[in-house]
Amino acid sequence: MLEPSLVRTVLDAALSTGADFAELFMEDRRDTSLVLQLNRLETVNSGRIHGAGVRVYVGLNAIYAYTNDTSREGLIACARQAASAVRERGRELAACAELSLSPVRDAHPVKLLPSRTETRRKADVLRAANAAAREAGAEIAQVVCTYRDSEQDVLIANSEGRFVTDRRVYTRLGCQAVAGNGTENQSGFEGPGALMGFELFESRVDPARVGREAARTAIEMLHAPVCPSGVMPVAIGNGFGGVIFHEACGHGLEATSVAFGTSVFCGKLGERIAAPCVTAVDDGTLPNEWGSENVDDEGTPTTRLVLIENGVLKNYMIDRLNGRRMGMAPTGSARRESYAYAPTSRMRNTYIAAGCDDEEEIISSMGDGLYAARMGGGSVDPATGEFNFAVQEGYLVKDGKITTPVRGASLIGKGADILMKIDRVGRDMRMAQGMCGSLSGSVPTNVGQPMIRVSSITVGGRA
Amino acid sequence: MQDFIKRLMEAARAAGIEACEAYLSSRDSFRAMTTEGEVVEYESNLTRGLGFRGLYRGRMGYASTEAFDEEAVGQLVKGVVESAELCEDEDESPLYDGGDPVPDMELRSPALSQVTPQEKIERVLAMEKLVKESDPRIDKTAHNVISTGSYTVRIVNSHGMDQSYTADVCALYGQATARDGDFVSSNGYGMCARGFDGLDAPKVAGEVARRTLDGLNAAPVPSGKYRVVFFSEAMCDLLGVFSSIFSAETAQKGMSLLKGRVGERIAAPCVTLADDPLLEGGMGSRPFDDEGVPSAAHTVVEEGVFRTFLHNLKTARKDGVATTGNARKVGYASSVHVAPTNFYLKPGKRTPEEMLREIGEGLVITEVSGLHAGANPISGDFSLLAKGYAFREGRREKPVEQITVAGNFYELLMAVRELANDLTFPMGGVGSPSVDVGELSVSGT
Repeated sequence: MLEPSLVRTVLDAALSTGADFAELFMEDRRDTSLVLQLNRLETVNSGRIHGAGVRVYVGLNAIYAYTNDTSREGLIACARQAASAVRERGRELAACAELSLSPVRDAHPVKLLPSRTETRRKADVLRAANAAAREAGAEIAQVVCTYRDSEQDVLIANSEGRFVTDRRVYTRLGCQAVAGNGTENQSGFEGPGALMGFELFESRVDPARVGREAARTAIEMLHAPVCPSGVMPVAIGNGFGGVIFHEACGHGLEATSVAFGTSVFCGKLGERIAAPCVTAVDDGTLPNEWGSENVDDEGTPTTRLVLIENGVLKNYMIDRLNGRRMGMAPTGSARRESYAYAPTSRMRNTYIAAGCDDEEEIISSMGDGLYAARMGGGSVDPATGEFNFAVQEGYLVKDGKITTPVRGASLIGKGADILMKIDRVGRDMRMAQGMCGSLSGSVPTNVGQPMIRVSSITVGGRA
Repeated sequence: MQDFIKRLMEAARAAGIEACEAYLSSRDSFRAMTTEGEVVEYESNLTRGLGFRGLYRGRMGYASTEAFDEEAVGQLVKGVVESAELCEDEDESPLYDGGDPVPDMELRSPALSQVTPQEKIERVLAMEKLVKESDPRIDKTAHNVISTGSYTVRIVNSHGMDQSYTADVCALYGQATARDGDFVSSNGYGMCARGFDGLDAPKVAGEVARRTLDGLNAAPVPSGKYRVVFFSEAMCDLLGVFSSIFSAETAQKGMSLLKGRVGERIAAPCVTLADDPLLEGGMGSRPFDDEGVPSAAHTVVEEGVFRTFLHNLKTARKDGVATTGNARKVGYASSVHVAPTNFYLKPGKRTPEEMLREIGEGLVITEVSGLHAGANPISGDFSLLAKGYAFREGRREKPVEQITVAGNFYELLMAVRELANDLTFPMGGVGSPSVDVGELSVSGT
């Protein structure tokens, strides 16, 4: 994308007023999105995201400037803009290390680049999902299918001599089905994706199955009574159920919160923070998974991090700047939505590892409670660990048996309490895809777990 | 840029695009974040993007770019043609002819460009210091943000329209945690204004401290049915997330249960809901919408009766009505949707205190969270994590947290008992007074 000599000039300009570290991130991204609804392809949109950001550190603080003007003059002006905000002048200037492009081993090969795939074939994926959803039942009133792909070329260089380029290719299908009876609507959603090209639909994802699943949930919930309220045991299904760990604990293990002492998990390394049956991992190296990358947005190779091992806190997710603040090494966790955000520590593919409990026994031994078969999204306040999430598809359990479906439930609690109350971890771990929003924008993340059970949790329902 | 747009329009005509529109958005903004009295992040940027749409063989195609190189013109034209060729949407998607007078509005703060980054940083640090010093139980003050910016929207189309406006927006936000023994409470507060002078540091600090301290030693209440009053901010969050049910686009797609109900009673008689893009000082104010249509105010619900959906040119044509000027792009690259501008519930006569006194006993909800997950605009169902306090004989009794309030927004509109007189627009274009919504299900202990 850029000559090393120009990169060097930009970094030098960034260091010219006394910053002790400078970094350049440049991005050229091509996105395609298609929307099918009312049985017709309604929107086809293609776009090009293009820009660069220069970040400098002054001790433990950072300054970030970004622009779309990636001409030589534009980049230098952007670097000077960042440099101009350095307030502690007069110190010895840091020198930029020698720059030569380091090779990046591609652990996430792409077979069919979206840009070389005809848009018609992308539309066919939507048609297949739409048709399957509509065939699922007469009550399906509406189906919205979305297809997105993106090819992001990045260049990352810093004054310590790190200089890499990488390409990230993402493809995702989403299907939202609405079941209605004239006075009521209920919806179901399924949205598989991966860090790969159009081969997603040859090797991993059957669009018709995606449509059927979304429609099945919507219809099931249309016939479900409202969920009762109260504190009860809850079994949470695998796949997107992992959002409970993502919200209840994962955000609190990001250096963004830990470095400022605003996470409930600060200072707890080596301590037991979860029940002994809980082992949790954040893995950025899983081939072609939605939250993986070769290198993070600071050029650091991604890693497999054991966050919690048999209930004991082992690691935080750390970016370079917060690593400085914490006196710890970065873990390849720096991420950002685009050049328009400074990077910070974020989750990737985060899951509770498979345990040894039998899924049938988890339900049969729970007495009366709720089985949350499919979860919706959620959110958390890392300072207190207070989380909430929605149950997309829930079932009442009476005397160890699944009885009736229930709708409209949410689960709330505090992360530190919930982790201690997990009393079963099943064997069949699965992951599901989501978009996670935080300080550095919206990034692709996998959540995952086998079926788990929480001995008691507050269920917010309407009955 | 003038030259780029000209070349783009010419290339589009040459490629057989019958009518087209360039939507240019540019932004110049500044943001600093402080934590524990230090500037930990500092950001400035200058960005622009162009969304291009055009009619090709009667269908609308879309493409966008942030790069303005030689390749970009070809990419946009090819993108629009390919998009239009594949599109199966047969609804007419007209471009605005222009010609109607655009209201004259002042959305800029001339003094803003004179304010130095240093002065901006001092304002957020001063606010943070006030929070810190307000009470010994305040523990941490992290992620405090000041931001200022100007954005310009310019729309040029092949019907000869070329109009633009520039708006300034400033925001100050504070966040703190308070500690009492092992109990940690966390809260934040922010305000928006057109000008830097509108950012009231003592007010923000006072609110941050009060909210954080108020949450100390809060506990859930037993599960059950409670008489609930949503304070302004919580009601705004609810109204914001369910605003899509008033969009004609949502209704035409069968996703709003208000479809076919214009003229019917959908809310209690005390409920009047308006959308007013001309509102003085409103953060959603603008002279024209994202298709260039001049702004005008509309009453959406009048004393409980549903008067109109919000429309853009395309949804209006389909329903055989006039557009309400609510076309909205979610960023320059987006296709044209429908969204409210300054969208608010009209206030009633009594103060919230008078209202609580008459109710006697119940729950005040000051804050709801998890809206993107716990509120479903398609069904109207919501089940939300909430904070607030229990009141008895009209007076605050004890702080409450770790509860959910659950209900259905369509039912809630009908159940509203009263709106107080404290209309506020907490952070943006959605406004509401405090609202007595009758009984809701609460899940706690």
